[in-house]
Amino acid sequence: MTQTSSLLPIIAILPFLGALVPGVMIRAGRTACAWFTAVPTILALVMLGTLAPGVMEGTVYTAQLPWIPQLGLEAAFFLDGLGLMFACMILGVGLLITLYARYYLSGEDPMGQFYTYLLLFQGAMLGITLSDNILLLLIFWELTSLSSFLLIGYWKHLPEGRQGARMALTVTGAGGLAMIGGMLILGNIVGSYNLTDILASGDLIKADPMYLPALILILLGAFTKSAQFPFHFWLPHAMAAPTPVSAYLHSATMVKAGVFLMARMWPALAGTDAWFYIVATAGLITMVLGAVIALFKDDLKALLAFSTVSHLGLLTMLLGFGTEAAAIAAVFHILNHLTFKAALFMTAGIVDHETHTRDIKRLGGLAKLMPITATIGTITALSMAGIPLFNGFLSKELMLYEAAKTTWWENPWIVAGLATLGSVFSVAYSLRFIFHTFGGKVRDDYPHHPHDPPFGMYAAPALLSVLVVAIGVMPFLAEPIVAMAATAVTGTPQDPHFAIWHGVNAALIMSLIAIAGGIVLLLLHRPLDKAWLATPRPEAKVIFDALIGAVVRATRWVTETLHNGAISRYLAIFTAATVIVGYTAYTMSPLGPQTREMLPVPPLVGIGWFLLVLATGLVVWFHRMRFAALVIISVIGLMVSAGFVYMSAPDLALTQISVETVTIMLLLLALHFLPKETPVESSVGRRGLDAAIALSAGVAIAGLSYAFMMRDFSTISDYHLANSYIGGGGTNVVNVILVDFRGYDTYGEIIVLGIAGLAIFALMETLLNGPAGARLRNSGYNNDRSHDRHPLMMVVATRLMLPIAAVVGVYIFLRGHNQPGGGFVAGLVISIALLMQYMASGFAWTTRRQRLEYHGLIGIGVVIAGLTGMGAWLAGVPFLTSWYGYVHLPPIEEFELASAALFDLGVFLCVLGAVMLMLYSISRLARHAGETVNKEPMDYDPSKAPKTFQNRAEEGL
Amino acid sequence: MISADLNIILPEIVLAVYAMAALILAVYSGKDKLAGTMVWATSALMLVLAFWIGTTGEGSNAAFYGMFNDDPFSRFAKVVILVSAAAVMVMSEGYMQRRGLLRFEFPVLIALASVGMMMMVSAGDLMSLYMGLELQSLSLYVVASLRRDSAKSTEAGLKYFVLGALSSGLLLYGASLIYGFAGTTQFSGIIAAATEENISVGLLIGLVLLTSGLAFKVSAVPFHMWTPDVYEGSPTPVTAFFATAPKVAAMGLFARVMHDAFGNAVSDWSQVVALLSVLSMFIGAIAAIGQTDIKRLMAYSSIAHMGYALMGLASGTELGVNAMLVYMAIYVTMNVGTFAFIMSMERDGQPVTRIDALGQYGAKEPGKALAMLVLLFSLAGVPPFLGFFAKLAVLRAAYDAGLAWLAVAGVVASVIGAYYYLRIVYYMYFGEEPDEALDGGRSPVLMGFLMGSAVIMLVGIVNMFGVEGAAQAAAVALVN
Repeated sequence: MTQTSSLLPIIAILPFLGALVPGVMIRAGRTACAWFTAVPTILALVMLGTLAPGVMEGTVYTAQLPWIPQLGLEAAFFLDGLGLMFACMILGVGLLITLYARYYLSGEDPMGQFYTYLLLFQGAMLGITLSDNILLLLIFWELTSLSSFLLIGYWKHLPEGRQGARMALTVTGAGGLAMIGGMLILGNIVGSYNLTDILASGDLIKADPMYLPALILILLGAFTKSAQFPFHFWLPHAMAAPTPVSAYLHSATMVKAGVFLMARMWPALAGTDAWFYIVATAGLITMVLGAVIALFKDDLKALLAFSTVSHLGLLTMLLGFGTEAAAIAAVFHILNHLTFKAALFMTAGIVDHETHTRDIKRLGGLAKLMPITATIGTITALSMAGIPLFNGFLSKELMLYEAAKTTWWENPWIVAGLATLGSVFSVAYSLRFIFHTFGGKVRDDYPHHPHDPPFGMYAAPALLSVLVVAIGVMPFLAEPIVAMAATAVTGTPQDPHFAIWHGVNAALIMSLIAIAGGIVLLLLHRPLDKAWLATPRPEAKVIFDALIGAVVRATRWVTETLHNGAISRYLAIFTAATVIVGYTAYTMSPLGPQTREMLPVPPLVGIGWFLLVLATGLVVWFHRMRFAALVIISVIGLMVSAGFVYMSAPDLALTQISVETVTIMLLLLALHFLPKETPVESSVGRRGLDAAIALSAGVAIAGLSYAFMMRDFSTISDYHLANSYIGGGGTNVVNVILVDFRGYDTYGEIIVLGIAGLAIFALMETLLNGPAGARLRNSGYNNDRSHDRHPLMMVVATRLMLPIAAVVGVYIFLRGHNQPGGGFVAGLVISIALLMQYMASGFAWTTRRQRLEYHGLIGIGVVIAGLTGMGAWLAGVPFLTSWYGYVHLPPIEEFELASAALFDLGVFLCVLGAVMLMLYSISRLARHAGETVNKEPMDYDPSKAPKTFQNRAEEGL
Repeated sequence: MISADLNIILPEIVLAVYAMAALILAVYSGKDKLAGTMVWATSALMLVLAFWIGTTGEGSNAAFYGMFNDDPFSRFAKVVILVSAAAVMVMSEGYMQRRGLLRFEFPVLIALASVGMMMMVSAGDLMSLYMGLELQSLSLYVVASLRRDSAKSTEAGLKYFVLGALSSGLLLYGASLIYGFAGTTQFSGIIAAATEENISVGLLIGLVLLTSGLAFKVSAVPFHMWTPDVYEGSPTPVTAFFATAPKVAAMGLFARVMHDAFGNAVSDWSQVVALLSVLSMFIGAIAAIGQTDIKRLMAYSSIAHMGYALMGLASGTELGVNAMLVYMAIYVTMNVGTFAFIMSMERDGQPVTRIDALGQYGAKEPGKALAMLVLLFSLAGVPPFLGFFAKLAVLRAAYDAGLAWLAVAGVVASVIGAYYYLRIVYYMYFGEEPDEALDGGRSPVLMGFLMGSAVIMLVGIVNMFGVEGAAQAAAVALVN
């Protein structure tokens, strides 16, 4: 029966709203603050109370609020028996802790903050129990981690708390994140994230292939939260927190969240072999291990912490059995453990508060000094030991009964035996808690003289111990609650009956063995303790630290290997990765058969190809010798140009060769100021590896090109070939593309080129005026120079060539539109002619004859090109639309006038200006460094020359 | 025709013209004197543009024959880009001013980079893609080496440039292969040529090379190597910028190319993207563990986060794109807050980036520490913070698309990754008091961003930060 109740969201939100209050109310005093903290808890309890009768009768209350439907997330709540039991436990213990903390916290502790965190935590826990949507549950789940972290970190000044908090945070945080994955899978299997839907589709889930991953991920979350082996180690180390926190989080509520989840998911996940072997085994190991360690702990809280671990293991094991009877036993034990363990923690807190120590070895005889505390402690500890007439006995008996029935890997004894062993130790540490703390003689060396605390402090544990006895004597009191919760867990109606006396059965015998064995162990405690301390054993914390340390070291190693800061390594990884993905793509799809025949290779072409490959290889080989490398690079450029010629692309060849010449010349100039050789920095092995990577990349590109060229493909060349004369009025397709089809691009490019020239100039200017300029002046640049004059042959030759080159340039410019050439090439040709003057005759000589500023050339070029483009507007067509016509002037042949030619002029000027400006800038470096030879021009004008010795002799002087 | 086209790219034009005008103005007005004002003016303009784009844009429009798209997807990305860039600039102003780093080029370069980024997310053609990408990258190369007197900063800029140039080269090589085999550079033409049944190997190789180039821009493993060095070397405000807007732009571009141009061949690229994603998540998570410098740590964190965003993309579905966009919006918000905190880390006026300097910070500055705690938990993807919803969205998208292994791997990586975020939390609350504790750093602007971002992480969960609807529309526009 399902019924909607609007109270549920209110109950869930109450603690969060309440959390805002204590921070404010602390100003009204500590008691008022505690009261105001209690109000939301009480309110929530009352509201639950109104719903409780309905739940007892089997009604399930639900409430839905839309939230983020796209993600499958809705604020859906539901309340059934299990939820109600846990919610009441959380709120009830919360209330007791509020009271207890009021007296426990000292005056200096910021109590408002504490209560705020406490309520936050309470709200998160409550949310887990009420969520009907697994994503919502996840949210509350992680909120508990977060708020518990704030609570644990509350006492900031305790150094030993730090490590514990770190472990708690790491382990539970990681577990929670793993659970997200599990929940996601679960939701996808079922097709809904609603818990009610998931619980109803247990068979579907268990049959799904993703069941095991989902189970493992979810159990990771549950095991880390509930401190199950092998994650049990964090819990005892989290005990540095203030005792109210330990009592609330680490015994009653938070650590039970994992158990709650397993119980909640029981119908959906339990019952398979995987479930049994993972859950029951982990539980069994945890139970025994926790009990054994607990016996040898001297810190009261550590003892209780390991005992909690052991009891959580017990619960996990029971749920892991996957039988309904075991589930009932688990639910019952949850209830019982809550009552006695919370009381025990508070008792330990009182002892600590009164004596200022929790070390059992320094305690003893407290029964006479604090009789009330001793009574409470004894009752609850006996319950923990499983002594009849206390509630712990009842559920432990049920557990032993179930354990005796269970076979593990076809072995009927192993579970029963280990369960008994765990019980033996459990009795032993419980009795030790009683006798070594309260029993014995009164000592006179307590750090602080103890007496019973005020009523408010022992009220809470006293109430719990009353419950312990009440249920222990009258077990039927607990029946309705357990029935209600067990019904919800198993999904089928349950009606358990508890009795103190079941007759003599296996469970009773195991219990008796446990009690007897426990007493013997306690009597032998002193020698055993010595033996325990003497035996080397794996310390979980040490292992955890070592593990984390190893991981950190390993990751450091990975990081330092991958990211060592060397760009060469980055490039290697980059290239290798690209080759690998490219190869993968290559193999993914068939290339199809070759559709072209290999063209014949004439010997000349073969030689050219061989030279090209050889030169490329040599560059790599000789790259340390910079001058040699540059020479070889120029060979490559030459071969490429020759290739263009061979492929009937004279304009490309022309452009290529002129660009090649200019760049090599500029590079030669720059080389002046660089070391002649690059130092060797890499090892032979590294170079070998790099060579392999480079070769594979090169082969890949070459292979790819070959493969593509052996197959037919269509290009846009045809379009340009067809349209260049009709549309652009030129037969030189490349030039028409440059100045017409793609005129806009060219316009952009010349601007970029111009800016590059200007930028080089500006950079050089800044450089020379700054500290680098001073360094350059003092560099001793000239010391090893020969101070030879410029060779006469060269001077003469270049001067003769200048007018010829200029004419060639003009010619190339003019024929550009129809024949190979154009503004770009023309600009380069003229630049080369001028460059030669600088090289041959010296900088000063050339500069003196320079009439135009190079900056200006760039500017004029761009302006001309721009104006040409704008001219198109006059004709009412878009920017840079070209126009051409034919003009017939009588003395000359008919010739063509195209606006593109004007544009080309702009290109020409801009290229010339930019190249010359770059040269000018770079050569300034040399003059700045003190080069003098250029200041002596090679012009020899005898009339103006200073008189030599011979002249004077001739003139008779 | 042309006026309609210009109208569509008006926001970009406004910003570009503004940037150039600001450059000229600054040169003629004594250079850095106006830098502070310019930062504020640029931010204001960007916010106005973001508002304009966000409120007035409608439907899908294409300009310049489909080279440029204005659709819900591009508008979503542009708003995120502009707002985050403006936020980072405002945060940086005080920081840079006090350290003498504030040059007038900074806002101008950011504005130009933003124009490039807006172009990227709107690209409808390989040409406009490259234009946008290079405008953005070139601006970023310069910004990375803004601190010219620092060897680290210069080195960062140079490395970024060299590797960036290589990646651009790869991208171009891929683009030319695609052009060669599809016969067009327009996405609308490529999508017709690249169908699952008959995608040619040339297109496929072009696609993976393009993907490699784009992976570099989003710093996905194994093309991520520049990230830690650049993040560490650049001045913190620049790092903050790198970690926000450019990431959104690059992811936006990635999604655009994959869906607009190769949307008919999802299975051919989704495996590659999934591989990038899983590598990024794991390397990001694992390598961050050993870090001691918070900026370097954030670099690895960004690598891991890009892995998650790529997971959304790898699913190749509308839900995936939706998740990816939501992820990016949330990621950027978290990063703005986190970097506001990092910028406020100082001692004696000098920036400090060592993580152990945060020891016991929670005791000294409870408010700031709590805000940072919220952000770190959110970055780790821990519920109930917004970061969790972002992760959940991509995980679901991947799972629904049949990439269960990827989703599970993502969960495992997030478990590993949580460790290093929580380590910072650990230092703040439980660490040992360092010898050189932090002091100062109380800039109200930074505090505002830190607190604001932390509050969003908490309050934003009510309605998914309000971006869900817009992301949904954007995803629909892109994937169909």
